[in-house]
Amino acid sequence: MDSPRLMSHYLVVRAGSRNEVEPGLSGFAHFFEHMMFRGTERVPPEAYNRVLKSLGADSNAFTSDDWTCYHVTAASSALERIMDLESDRFQNLSYGLEAFQKEAGAVLGEYNKSSSMPLVTLFEKLRDLAYTRHTYKHTTMGFLRDIQDMPNQYEYSREFFRRWYRPDNAALVVAGDVDPDRVFELARRFYGSWEAGAARVTPPAEPAQTGERTAHVPWKAASLPYLVVGVHVSAFDPDSVEGRALEVLAQAAFSETSPLFRDLVLDRRWAESVVGFVPARRAPSLFCVMARVKEPSRLAHVREALFGTFERLAREPLPPERIRAVQENLRYRFLRSLDTPDAVAVTLGEALQLTGETSCVDRSFHALERVRAGDIQDSARRFFAPENRTVVTLGREAEAGP
Amino acid sequence: MSLPAPKARRSPSLVPSPDSPLVSVRLLFHVGSVDDPPGKEGLAALTGALLAEGGSRGLTYKELLDSLYPMAASIDVHVDKDVTVLSGTVHRDNLDGYYDLLRQVVLTPRFDPTDFHRLQVDHVHHLENVLRAADDENLGKEALATMLYEEHPYGRPTIGTVQGIRSIRLDDVKSFHAARFTRDQLDLGIAGGYPAGFVERVQADLDELPSCPLPTESSFRLRSRPGIEVLLVTKPARAWAISIGFPIDVTRADDDYYPLLLANSYLGEHRTFHGVLMGKMRSDRGFNYGDYSYIESFLQEGGSPFPLPNIPRRTQFFSIWIRPIEARYAHFAIRQSLREVERLQREGMTAASFAATREFLLHYSRLWTQTASRRLGYEMDGRFYGRASLVDELEKRLPRMTVEQVNAAARRHLRWRDASVAVVADPEGAASFAEALRTDAPSPVSYDTGTRPEVLAEDREISAWPLEVSRVRMVRAEELFER
Repeated sequence: MDSPRLMSHYLVVRAGSRNEVEPGLSGFAHFFEHMMFRGTERVPPEAYNRVLKSLGADSNAFTSDDWTCYHVTAASSALERIMDLESDRFQNLSYGLEAFQKEAGAVLGEYNKSSSMPLVTLFEKLRDLAYTRHTYKHTTMGFLRDIQDMPNQYEYSREFFRRWYRPDNAALVVAGDVDPDRVFELARRFYGSWEAGAARVTPPAEPAQTGERTAHVPWKAASLPYLVVGVHVSAFDPDSVEGRALEVLAQAAFSETSPLFRDLVLDRRWAESVVGFVPARRAPSLFCVMARVKEPSRLAHVREALFGTFERLAREPLPPERIRAVQENLRYRFLRSLDTPDAVAVTLGEALQLTGETSCVDRSFHALERVRAGDIQDSARRFFAPENRTVVTLGREAEAGP
Repeated sequence: MSLPAPKARRSPSLVPSPDSPLVSVRLLFHVGSVDDPPGKEGLAALTGALLAEGGSRGLTYKELLDSLYPMAASIDVHVDKDVTVLSGTVHRDNLDGYYDLLRQVVLTPRFDPTDFHRLQVDHVHHLENVLRAADDENLGKEALATMLYEEHPYGRPTIGTVQGIRSIRLDDVKSFHAARFTRDQLDLGIAGGYPAGFVERVQADLDELPSCPLPTESSFRLRSRPGIEVLLVTKPARAWAISIGFPIDVTRADDDYYPLLLANSYLGEHRTFHGVLMGKMRSDRGFNYGDYSYIESFLQEGGSPFPLPNIPRRTQFFSIWIRPIEARYAHFAIRQSLREVERLQREGMTAASFAATREFLLHYSRLWTQTASRRLGYEMDGRFYGRASLVDELEKRLPRMTVEQVNAAARRHLRWRDASVAVVADPEGAASFAEALRTDAPSPVSYDTGTRPEVLAEDREISAWPLEVSRVRMVRAEELFER
């Protein structure tokens, strides 16, 4: 980090869209994130914004499948006031019906702002189809019908706060130009009175998929055709060589240096882009490969090339030098990413929400070093069978799906 | 209006940070889409793309990717209106290997026909299938630019036009590169934990670039018709993206820019919750996700709320970004946002608002340069305008600034009566919306939820506020950016 006199204060809450087990309430973790900015009796929202403004702080929040994160970056000298403000709202949040309903409008606006983007709909469809029971079935934004019903869920919002916004379900990360002893002292002072008592939730387990699922999304506006394939894989485990093998595989088989990318994007030019990624999640999630295809007539060819890659990964071992290059890439990418207090705090925040421990960062790199060609083949055999995949295409309304 | 391009400087910008394990390099060429020849709109962007994704004489693009990959490094190219920037950051373990690749790309680009054809098709697709179809917020911003700058290159997307891109041949790229990417047009910047001798080595290598001073002049034809004009860009849309703006005649080179920056921060600082527009439109009324304002061309860097450095321009514009909003609120939102600009222009800021915003900017601006690479970018932008880095200028100027200066700058430059308004509107409803604008019909709003009496009282004033639009046009999205 090269950011003198700056620090980031990250409050990590282990509640995300995975917690939304009750029907009709998808998207609520994200909506609630918005409500956290609606003040307390001691510090109404106008006062909260006024203080943050006076500190020149950058303050915001985000929600994902597994967690919600509230972050403030400001001068190191502002830490005490920020902790005072933040600990107040996490313990004493208080808002009325009108503020609640106005914020529901902002959330619908957030959904609307992205509604012209095909990717959003593509991934909504993929999740909806790939999951039958687990809450990863819906995106963090939630189903549109549930977003539209949010203004009617005031009481539930209070319950949501009581259930999940508890110190035994949260972690505080402070990164940057600070004195650690002083940070611990302030944390005890401001957060010490926060009352424990978080609820527990176990989202319904997703049964093993037993047959390939497919769908086509007809798109009203002009668009290049999209193809996404989602494959059920295991939950994040920092010590799992199998898990790291999938990360190596995603890079080796689908990054810009992969044979598939060269073939489809650079040589035959059937696709504008190909990308593969495996998200780190607390429950079994989807390894995804996505392609933006240049011509509708090429969609089937691209799909076949992609499935051919899946088969080859199970059959043929990757050369050791290729695995080494990916390991180097992942290591340097990680090192490069840690260049601001924000970047360090979010990395540790994610580690804490995933496993409860920051040591998982080092452990996952140890597991990465142990990945060998056989592990990658084993992962490919285990996960890339046709019956475990879901395939969604998107294209202009007039063009039928493949 | 005719403005010369700022001259490149020969001494490099340096931001050493000896303890940093990272090294960043920025090569800023004074060449951009303003230099596209007529009929070849998109040439600068395609040339830049071929530098980024085209390899070098000694390395195919695939080989370049293979070499960069283990370092987790990239050669990033951003083409803008007035500049093209090649940049990269690498761990110092890999500096020699990385720099060797960068040097090859800059001095001896490959310009392979296969890469050229691939990127040419991708750029056309970007206009046809992304900008016109799948990115309404940027469509609104680009549509606004067509209104502000009409026939001038600033008035079309940097990536070009569909016909312009299609007419470009590989030889055009080669000649454009040879004539424009010269050492006379280059500003070099290096930051981070670079070793002794590195700067001299890079300078010596870059001296191999040809010398060919080619001063660029650009005549700006700004819209001369007075009054508020509205362009409705029609396409299927569940919510309507709105961009409002007008040219201003100050940039970071001018003293008036800095008090105007403060006034603008008060009105609508990007991605913060305390701007007037954000507070009134999102927090009080729940209209949409966000509402911000700007006094220069603004791109956000990645997922952060901070501006991307190295997109300086010779002339700038004021703009308001109203994020997609339900059609039933669109007319009201245009009235409300322009009325706030009018109030700021007429009444100015109070002493208290001024003091709070000054305090904010003094601290917040320090967050803009959290990495050595960003400090370098700001430093180089300062040079473009003949000033220090924006952060340093603010540190020097804000403590001495007065509310009178701010209000005078707002009075002089916020010429909202000649605003252009671009609305990405669903075809169903666009015609009646146009008619309501033409007749200056009242635009009352009603809410599905409870609303404070003082907000409702202000609504009544806003809904009848005379907007007096002088001209309304409608165009289908697929007709924009064609030639």
